[in-house]
Amino acid sequence: MAAAGSTSRDGGSAVAELRGWDAFLHLARELRLARLARFAAPYWQRALLSVVAMVVVVLSGLAVPYLLKIAIDEGIQAGDLHTLDLVVIGFVVVAALNLGASYVQTYLTSWVGEHVVLDLRRALFAHIQKLSMDFFSRQKTGWIVSRLTNDIDALSELVTEGVTSLVTNGLTLAGAIVFLFVLDWRLALATLSIMPVVVAATLVFRARSARAYALVRDRLAAVSAHLQESISGVRVLKAFRREAADRAAFARVNAEYRDVNMRTVVQSGVYFPFVEFMSAVGTVIVLWYGGSLVSGGQLRIGVLVAFIAYLSSFFDPLQQLSQLYNTFQASMAAVQKIFTVLDTEPDMLDAPDAVPLPPVAGDLELRHVTFGYSEDEPVLRDVSFAVPAGRTIALVGATGAGKSTLVKLLARFYDPEEGAVLIDGHDLRTVTGRSLRKQLAVVPQEPFLFSGSLLDNIRFARPSARRDEVERVARVVGAHEFISALPDGYDTEVQEGGGGLSTGQRQLVSFARALLADPKVLILDEATSSVDAESERHIEAAMEALFRDRTAVIVAHRLSTVRHADEILVVDAGRIVERGSHDELLAHGGRYAELYREWQATGRTL
Amino acid sequence: MRTFWRITKLLGDYKRLTVAGFALAFAQMGLSLLVPRVTQLAIDRALLGGDSHMLVWYGLGLIGVGAVRFAVGVGRRLTTGKASLGIEYDLRQRLWSHLLRQPFAYFDRWPTGQLMSRLMSDITNVRMFLGYGMVFFAVNVVMILAIAVILLALDWRLALLSLAFLPALLLVTWRFSRRLRPILRDVQQRIADVTAAAEENVVGSRIVRIFAREDDEMAKFSDRSTRVFEASVAAARTRAVYVPLIAFLPNLAVAFLLWYGGRQVVQGSLTLGELVAFYTYLMMLVYPAQVIGWLTGLAQRAMASGERIYELLDAPIEMEERPDAAPLPQAAGAVTFDRVSFAYGDRRVLEDVSLEVPAGRTVALVGHTGCGKTTLANLVPRFYDVSGGRVLVDGHDVRDLKLADLRRHIGVVTQDPFLFSASIAENIRAGRPEASAGEVRAAARIAQADEFIAALPDGYDTVVGERGLTLSGGQRQRLAIARALVMDPRILILDDATSSVDVETESRIRAALADVTEGRTTFIVAHRPSTISLADEVVVLDHGRIVARGTHDELLAAGGHYAHMFGDAEARRCDLDAVFAQESGAAAGGEEPAPARRPAGRPAAAGGPA
Repeated sequence: MAAAGSTSRDGGSAVAELRGWDAFLHLARELRLARLARFAAPYWQRALLSVVAMVVVVLSGLAVPYLLKIAIDEGIQAGDLHTLDLVVIGFVVVAALNLGASYVQTYLTSWVGEHVVLDLRRALFAHIQKLSMDFFSRQKTGWIVSRLTNDIDALSELVTEGVTSLVTNGLTLAGAIVFLFVLDWRLALATLSIMPVVVAATLVFRARSARAYALVRDRLAAVSAHLQESISGVRVLKAFRREAADRAAFARVNAEYRDVNMRTVVQSGVYFPFVEFMSAVGTVIVLWYGGSLVSGGQLRIGVLVAFIAYLSSFFDPLQQLSQLYNTFQASMAAVQKIFTVLDTEPDMLDAPDAVPLPPVAGDLELRHVTFGYSEDEPVLRDVSFAVPAGRTIALVGATGAGKSTLVKLLARFYDPEEGAVLIDGHDLRTVTGRSLRKQLAVVPQEPFLFSGSLLDNIRFARPSARRDEVERVARVVGAHEFISALPDGYDTEVQEGGGGLSTGQRQLVSFARALLADPKVLILDEATSSVDAESERHIEAAMEALFRDRTAVIVAHRLSTVRHADEILVVDAGRIVERGSHDELLAHGGRYAELYREWQATGRTL
Repeated sequence: MRTFWRITKLLGDYKRLTVAGFALAFAQMGLSLLVPRVTQLAIDRALLGGDSHMLVWYGLGLIGVGAVRFAVGVGRRLTTGKASLGIEYDLRQRLWSHLLRQPFAYFDRWPTGQLMSRLMSDITNVRMFLGYGMVFFAVNVVMILAIAVILLALDWRLALLSLAFLPALLLVTWRFSRRLRPILRDVQQRIADVTAAAEENVVGSRIVRIFAREDDEMAKFSDRSTRVFEASVAAARTRAVYVPLIAFLPNLAVAFLLWYGGRQVVQGSLTLGELVAFYTYLMMLVYPAQVIGWLTGLAQRAMASGERIYELLDAPIEMEERPDAAPLPQAAGAVTFDRVSFAYGDRRVLEDVSLEVPAGRTVALVGHTGCGKTTLANLVPRFYDVSGGRVLVDGHDVRDLKLADLRRHIGVVTQDPFLFSASIAENIRAGRPEASAGEVRAAARIAQADEFIAALPDGYDTVVGERGLTLSGGQRQRLAIARALVMDPRILILDDATSSVDVETESRIRAALADVTEGRTTFIVAHRPSTISLADEVVVLDHGRIVARGTHDELLAAGGHYAHMFGDAEARRCDLDAVFAQESGAAAGGEEPAPARRPAGRPAAAGGPA
């Protein structure tokens, strides 16, 4: 009987990669598989039903040669048409059972498998949301996205078709052996005599091809990476006349891929025909030995025919199981990476007894804060300062002095090693992150816009905001003019990353977004990339509007910004060395005053 | 259809292998068809006929056939495999070489992802079809016909009746693939949506957190993932219906065979051996019938991919070097724009621009975003061709010169420079691979890069780029300057070369640039007055035309456009970091330990299948 879902004997790498995977032995060793199985646990009823269906499929498939034997021996050879008819009816019934069970099995296995994939994807995503900013800085974003996409996809094959193939092929193989022994144990032994050879060949092939396929994947990735990089940098390639060199380098990478791929062709090119040959040898053994038994009257011919029919139930599953070891390897590698991410501890969790932050006025305080990105290099040392609500504070200092770090602590992207950060007297660590974010907004240096309309981007701060509210904030920051000038206005679609708008425009949108959030505290890391003078003017005006009516802490790079601040904090080597208003600091005659004089001198030369 | 023939003709380069492959495949098929026949004879003559000593011969015959089939099978796989891998190699090489010859404008139009998918998965689809699809298709079609003939010869009534399932099988297979294809496309699309959502969320994670939108993001992602699930289950449902059905039909045929054929054996009009042969041949039909559906799918995918590949291969090279292009061994570096106009699609970027720049002069190009300053600079190395007018270098129209020669004399530094995954030294040497280590260091020193490079653990051997160390914007900029310098070019183009750099670094680079522009014709496109002040002359552009020229002071005094842009800028412009930088001189250490950031707009992770 043609088993549902049978595949090529001759498929080469094309069809081969699509199904199941290997021996049960490895299963046990793979603890990850147990974890994976736990994801399937909620669907155990469907899974169980599916397995039952699989058993029915296998049994009905294996029944065919047996029925054939009965038809031949009891029916045809005996001249008993009645029995023949019964067998034929039985045959149709078994075929129908196979049909029904196959349907159930295919559907349910896919359902469970795809649901496991869905759950895993969701779990991974949810976990990534919880991970600290630190995680994102350590890993490249591409790596993270790959886990969520490529790896989950690799898994999908495994948990749907892989499971099916393993169980059905495994059962078929085992079942066929059982049936052979039931039919005639002597002939069974004789037939199985070739098994050691076949199994040995299969093991050798499997090991070799696993290595070769891993190499092929690797080289293909190298080809892809070369092209990706060269396309990204094609302008540099052309500007520096590297076309010929690149062509030659690519030829090498291309050839390497072709050559390792050829190796897999050779390996499967020998293995599969060999197994076919062994199948022929098996048939001959059955004919010779079985034949002699039949001639001696010790065996009925129907058994012989059944044996020959069973041989294919042997070799097909064996080949399929060996082909798919590679898919298994690839999938398990993916699973490993996924679980690595899931096992990463989020370290910016809310404390178990965290309470929501009540509405605050906006008094900020840093109390004896010490912090460093790595253990032994503190960036901030024993920093203390308080900012009354409603004031605008500018942080100035050389690159590396610690301004950006201060701001990150205020925004609770990191927790201090020593000391505390407080808002209205509440230690940031005692309140829930979510409630804090609702009252404290951060505008980072590089404005990031999501794909979607400008309206949606600004509304990201408060999705329930009405259109007129959005326009109002846009007007306040000075973005309304340029947005209205666009063909689709607020509905203009922004490309990922904000392409299509100039840097200055993106900045203004970013400000509008922050304003819509209407936070009591605003933290702004001033952008350093230069924009044309007109945009600069807009941005300055926008900042003034932004800082009204709330506490604002700014990492300043422009003297104009600093001069407008209520108070200036001069940061140097992780400490605050001076503070006061512009005039006070000038009068004080310290660091700031010196800088101001420097500026005056520099300003002249510009 | 035309694509089909074009793809098929690719086999022509491997004629001998292909012909051998086909021949061996047919031989293999023929040998496989022998087996049931021999088995039938063995059963009828030797076992039932009492001629049992013949059994040995039949057995040996089968082994012989098996052995030959083994050899033929190996040969077939090796020949078709080699041919198809060769075709894949050739096609990829050809396509990439062709693309490399295209100019900037071409790459402006084509997104990286589109090019990558054609270079990777589309070519693989064509290979699969040529390597396996065609041979299988031909062999299986012939096999079906041959078996039909054999069966008809054995017993035509039985044959007709048992072969009746074939058309039904083919029909079902065809309907299956038609039903499944749109569903699979749907699955692919939804997976793409999930990928896009994942990417955006990760790249914009900071913003998500800042506005406490994690829940919404989770909901959005969950929703898209569920859609993938739903589509996958729909596909599974379709498979669950059709695949068992495709297996059931042959079983029905076998049942019929047993019923009718069995009676015939009892009546004596058919031997048992013949019945067994019938059964075996019928079983041999199942696989080809099933696979034809898969093969047509393969063929269709190959056609679609082929079209996409030829779309690129057929595209003419948009900027050719003329066959009689003149060499330019030396250049003084005088550049002239003679009534230059340039349009990008329908957008007019430059209008009637005339400018003469004597050798060694440093010119700053300024103006609002989109005024055409970068475009103007890009015309000199012929990254783009003018729509009207001419660009002259040392009096020669750049279109009359050999491209390689022209570009050897022009060093370009852009905003956000691209570095290859190679060592720093190799990156710097890009323009002149024969540069010595000393020359590389010298260039790096002038570019103010030597210090930080030497501080790295592997120094100049440090691998940078996508797959290497991530350098800060300022560091990359300085490397790019060194890269341009090592060529010792007569013309230098600094396009917004300091704008994405913080001002402290910029003041350092500025010091370097002052040295570098000495004696070279330099075009500086910049916003910052500090950079602009390096120039001998400032050219102000507005909407593609030159509106003012002069020195910085002259223009300020003139009170026009320029003064408007930069006049009151001093207070705004004075960046504190520059002040700090000057104050602390070279002593300012490394930059603040900040997490490595990807500049916005970088291409996503590699698009091809890994």
